[in-house]
Amino acid sequence: MKITDFLTASKVAIQAQAGTRDEAIRLLVGLQNAAGAISDPEEFEKDILAREAKGTTCIGEGLAVPHAKSTAAKEPSLAAVTLVTGVDYQSPDGQLADLIFMIATPPGGDAHLEILSRMMVLLMDADLRQKLRAAKEPEEFVRIVDEAEIAKYGSETKTEEAPPAEPEGRILAVTACPTGVAHTYMAAEALDKAAQKLSIPFKVETNGSTGIQNPLTAEDIKLAPAIIVAADKQVETERFVGKKVIFVKVADGIHKPEALLKQAQAGEAPIYEGSGEAGAGSASSSAASSESWARGVYKDLMNGVSHMLPFVIGGGVLIALAFLFDDYSINPASFGSNTSLAKVFMNIGQAAFSLMLPILAGFIALSIADRPGLAPGVVGGLLAKEGLSFGSLLYGSPAVSGGFLAALLAGFLAGYVVLGLKKLTENMPRSLKALGPVLIFPLLGSLLVGLVMLGLNPLMGVINSALANGLNAMGAAQKIPLGVLLAAMMSADMGGPINKAAYVFGVASIASGNYEVMAAVMIGGMVPPIAIALAATFFPNRFTPEERHGAPVNYVMGLCFITEGAIPYAAADPLRVIPSCLVGAGLSGGLAMAFNCGLMAPHGGVFVFPVVKNPGAYLLALVLGSLLGMALLAILKKKIPLTAARASA
Amino acid sequence: MVSAKLTALNETGVHMRPAQVLVTKLAPLNAEVTLKHLGKDINAKSIMMVMAAGIKKGHEVEVICQGADEVAALALLEEFFKGVMDDA
Repeated sequence: MKITDFLTASKVAIQAQAGTRDEAIRLLVGLQNAAGAISDPEEFEKDILAREAKGTTCIGEGLAVPHAKSTAAKEPSLAAVTLVTGVDYQSPDGQLADLIFMIATPPGGDAHLEILSRMMVLLMDADLRQKLRAAKEPEEFVRIVDEAEIAKYGSETKTEEAPPAEPEGRILAVTACPTGVAHTYMAAEALDKAAQKLSIPFKVETNGSTGIQNPLTAEDIKLAPAIIVAADKQVETERFVGKKVIFVKVADGIHKPEALLKQAQAGEAPIYEGSGEAGAGSASSSAASSESWARGVYKDLMNGVSHMLPFVIGGGVLIALAFLFDDYSINPASFGSNTSLAKVFMNIGQAAFSLMLPILAGFIALSIADRPGLAPGVVGGLLAKEGLSFGSLLYGSPAVSGGFLAALLAGFLAGYVVLGLKKLTENMPRSLKALGPVLIFPLLGSLLVGLVMLGLNPLMGVINSALANGLNAMGAAQKIPLGVLLAAMMSADMGGPINKAAYVFGVASIASGNYEVMAAVMIGGMVPPIAIALAATFFPNRFTPEERHGAPVNYVMGLCFITEGAIPYAAADPLRVIPSCLVGAGLSGGLAMAFNCGLMAPHGGVFVFPVVKNPGAYLLALVLGSLLGMALLAILKKKIPLTAARASA
Repeated sequence: MVSAKLTALNETGVHMRPAQVLVTKLAPLNAEVTLKHLGKDINAKSIMMVMAAGIKKGHEVEVICQGADEVAALALLEEFFKGVMDDA
């Protein structure tokens, strides 16, 4: 139970005027009635006054708590007012009452006593009473109560009726998404909430960008009846061998947590047998192959991309800074490393950039074949980047980098080559099998991948050059529609596969030396949360109080390029919110292209604006797209009737 | 010092009215009265603390009184927890 379960902002009036105790009571009854908590205001007011007749409900310190168990109360409910000037409430200490809470409870039950007890625990604190009196709006008042309650009782209250979860029988979950910023935590929260609702003992580990939080211990895993893995990237699963494991997309963790938990509780999941690092289970592919093929590829790709991103971000920003700190006039030919400062930035940045493709390939292979895949993948990725081929090695023909596409190929190739080697060594004698990870996989894996890459690189080089040249040679007629399309894709599913497809294309373009695509991609991802936040600020009557409350965070999310902030709004009203965001984002993307904006960093939002090419125009594109999105939201979304009695009654 | 373990028999628990009654009756006495309830010490002369305790019907409370009129205070509490001061 939480006080804020019963006290919503619509039932709070701030700095209200009341001349007498009875006027204050009538005001509170009005708030309860407007919020639909009572069925008959007159009857309820009679009950409240009858209670007052038995003795004042004023406690002292200016605090009064009128209350009634009344047949006119539909549900336990709290209302509150602060008064500009206090009223005479027959207080034991003679003070006038200016902070008044009204409790309505239906007859029977202990709700009344519990609310009262909990409120008193908090209100004993004189500081809190002072803060509540100083609150400027109902939302702030409720937030102060909520924060005080969290400080006192912890965030989610486990009261006596829910004894601390016994360790045995806890259902476990792991959540992870490629960027590890939003979905990971949203899924963890959704699962946690659902578990509380279903009162299922539960623990969740998050594999986010900041690393693993709340890790599952060996003890947790041993005792768990089932484990849910809601992840779009590789997570450590060898530890779950022999347990019932449900593998799903991270989105399922967000959207159907209850179904997942029920499934886990019922034990409806195959026993996980591991991916066969030691080659123990011969039928080991059963769990793995139950994932669809496409989902597997997506997961492998995203594992590579998420590990590559830090290199691209660090390198991209450093290189951009090198240009920023350089003087073009010294020597235009070596612009970017003319001054010594620029040279330092440039070289560090390039070191990071040069690792990007090997890392991509290496972690794709690791996702497919576990740790033995890493080395052959990195080697293949480096060969792809260098563009080495038999021709260049033996006959001195120029090496042409195969770029992003060749690195992708190298990653998947290395992964499956090592998987194949694992299969081949499975039936070898035990003594030889031990040689797999220490000799056979690294040696044969790297050799095979290397040979294939040397053979394929010329072809990949041609494709990559064609793509890069194509992108660079595009005129406005092709560039603008491309920008519109990519930016719209970014806001189409806000972090889902369509968004990721556009994003990966943007990153790939950076790898091929075209920076304008990424500019359009990032701006497309920034518009939806900003447009929603703007709409909630300037057209609040289109949004529910909870939505308005969350809106300021969306400014921050949008400016940081975390499109996922828009998801709750899109989920609540997809047919109106998504098209608005799509059009706004599309406009921004098209404008960014039209203004020739370029971005060398694949992430960072407003923090990398200083290194954007044409930053002023980029900002303008962002503002215009966001405003268009906001306008469409205002037009499309329906007004929500304001039931909130913002009382100055 | 005198003490006793008492069970609250008040029909609706120690809500606001009973709490006010208790605090008013205890106020003239000079004994210190502490209620031990669910592991917490409660000053029985503080209306807010008594209400914050959330004592429900059937809860056991250890009552500790200390001071010149501690016996009178304990008698008052025994009477109180029997519910005879309820007037609902």
